[in-house]
Amino acid sequence: MSQGEILAGFLAPHPPHLVYAENPAQNEPRAEGGWEQLRWAYERARKSLDRLKPDVLLVHSPHWMTNVGHHFLGVRHLSGKSVDPIFPNLFRYNFELEVDLELAEACCSTARDMGLVTQMMRNPNFRVDYGTITTLHMMRPQWDIPIVGLSANNSPYYLNTKEGLEEMDILGKATRKAIEETGRRAVLLASNTLCHYHFHEEPDVPEDMSREHPQNYPGYKWDMRMIDLLRRGKTREVFEILPQFIDEAFAEVKSGAFTWMFSAMGYPEIPGELHGYGTVIGTGNAVMEWDLTAAAA
Amino acid sequence: MPVVAAFVMPGLPHMVLKPDAPAWQRLGKAATAAGAALAAYRPDTVAIYSTQWIAVLDQLWQTKPRLSGVHVDENWYEWGDLPFDITIDVALAEACVAAGTKSGLRSKGVNYEGFPIDTGAIVAAHFLDPGHRQPTIVTANNVYHDWAKTEQIGGIVRAMADEQNKRVAVVGVGGLSASMFRRPIDPAEDHIANPHDDEANRKILTALESGDADRVRAEAAAAAGAGPTDFGLKHLAFVLGALGGKPGKATVHGYEPIYGTGGAVVEVPA
Repeated sequence: MSQGEILAGFLAPHPPHLVYAENPAQNEPRAEGGWEQLRWAYERARKSLDRLKPDVLLVHSPHWMTNVGHHFLGVRHLSGKSVDPIFPNLFRYNFELEVDLELAEACCSTARDMGLVTQMMRNPNFRVDYGTITTLHMMRPQWDIPIVGLSANNSPYYLNTKEGLEEMDILGKATRKAIEETGRRAVLLASNTLCHYHFHEEPDVPEDMSREHPQNYPGYKWDMRMIDLLRRGKTREVFEILPQFIDEAFAEVKSGAFTWMFSAMGYPEIPGELHGYGTVIGTGNAVMEWDLTAAAA
Repeated sequence: MPVVAAFVMPGLPHMVLKPDAPAWQRLGKAATAAGAALAAYRPDTVAIYSTQWIAVLDQLWQTKPRLSGVHVDENWYEWGDLPFDITIDVALAEACVAAGTKSGLRSKGVNYEGFPIDTGAIVAAHFLDPGHRQPTIVTANNVYHDWAKTEQIGGIVRAMADEQNKRVAVVGVGGLSASMFRRPIDPAEDHIANPHDDEANRKILTALESGDADRVRAEAAAAAGAGPTDFGLKHLAFVLGALGGKPGKATVHGYEPIYGTGGAVVEVPA
């Protein structure tokens, strides 16, 4: 078996509005459109994923929050209906997915060997969270690539940002090792929004884009500062100011996916490709790609 | 007397899914006793506020006539499933939606097949409505609502119960201290994570036993300021609001650790 590798990582946020606006057959509600710039950003990301042809997609989602350790989906076939508890009017999605069990178990055991508390989720009735599903749908609506689903341990919130993100760093390193040892060609998906300040009321027509804009200007400026650094490959600088960004922009990257992904990729100082940016109910969302194969070439 | 009594219940599923652990077994027995006590009040409807049903946009209320299915907790899934079958008092829920919005607390009904009912509401219903026949309303914990707004939500239930001439028992579902162990433990050796939490929990329970609403507010605020609590103990605010700010002297049916957190089953007469 040849050594596995991480082909690319994507910042792939999960507003369910994007699935809603696309009107896929799996989702019950119907929309007139909306959030086109972000959906077109995901179209570009989908083309990249087509070209990369990974064996597996790994997704770390803040909406599967676990208290005791880092958990991994551990049932080969999962299906059901996922209704977003926050936006049930927009997201009632019938999902069906295949888990790469061998890799999930390798991630779980490797992370445990590296000192983290980990656990495999073996309950076949488990309801996969809408963050995982939205990110996966937006990246690969065909659902024809096996996945590994990782929970977001609540350590950045329960302990503090620094200690919590140190755990995500270890989780990333363990993920990389597991990918290499199982011979997988993998793509990582960090299911995170940037600035997470949001409006507290929804328009009567949710896709009325005349109502959509950043919730506040400082948060927008933070997003642009971070994206600018990421586009220039200033990864070290990004992680130096990440705690301040999290505090001042209420950034969802606090939940760990972004750190997990960069740690797994080895914090590459390579320019990220911005596929697009847009707000959803006021939050800042960027779809970005770091193609490690292109960087190596 | 529109609100006939109030109860406080933990929302973690341990006492349902793992009743062989001594502390969780004792808490389960206390919850069963609370169920019997609730039945004795002969409520027309039970009103549940659960800290685990998280909302961020509006104040949400279940308006689907019947909620049934199987729930799997996202943390404690390895101990099994949580079947549920809850009958909603749609008329009362819709009245609360309308009254909430009218009072400036934008509210919405939730009526969707497959909506994820939270573990806390299911655990409460398991003990308080074992026969699945008790009309119930369930409302969410909007994370942006503070203590005062949550008391207001309790007050809305009280006012609408009065308007519909219903006897309502309210249930605040949530824990006390929220310092949960970060590593797996032997359930037989569960204990409150630290002495400060235990002390704060006991002060809150003593305040509830005194029947002094201001003392409950003060102890809850002190506990929330000193360490992690379950969403600032807002489920107690809901209870106080529903009791019109005048709770009777409470009976503590049980107080135990749940994976380091504090859980209590409390009966508060009107």
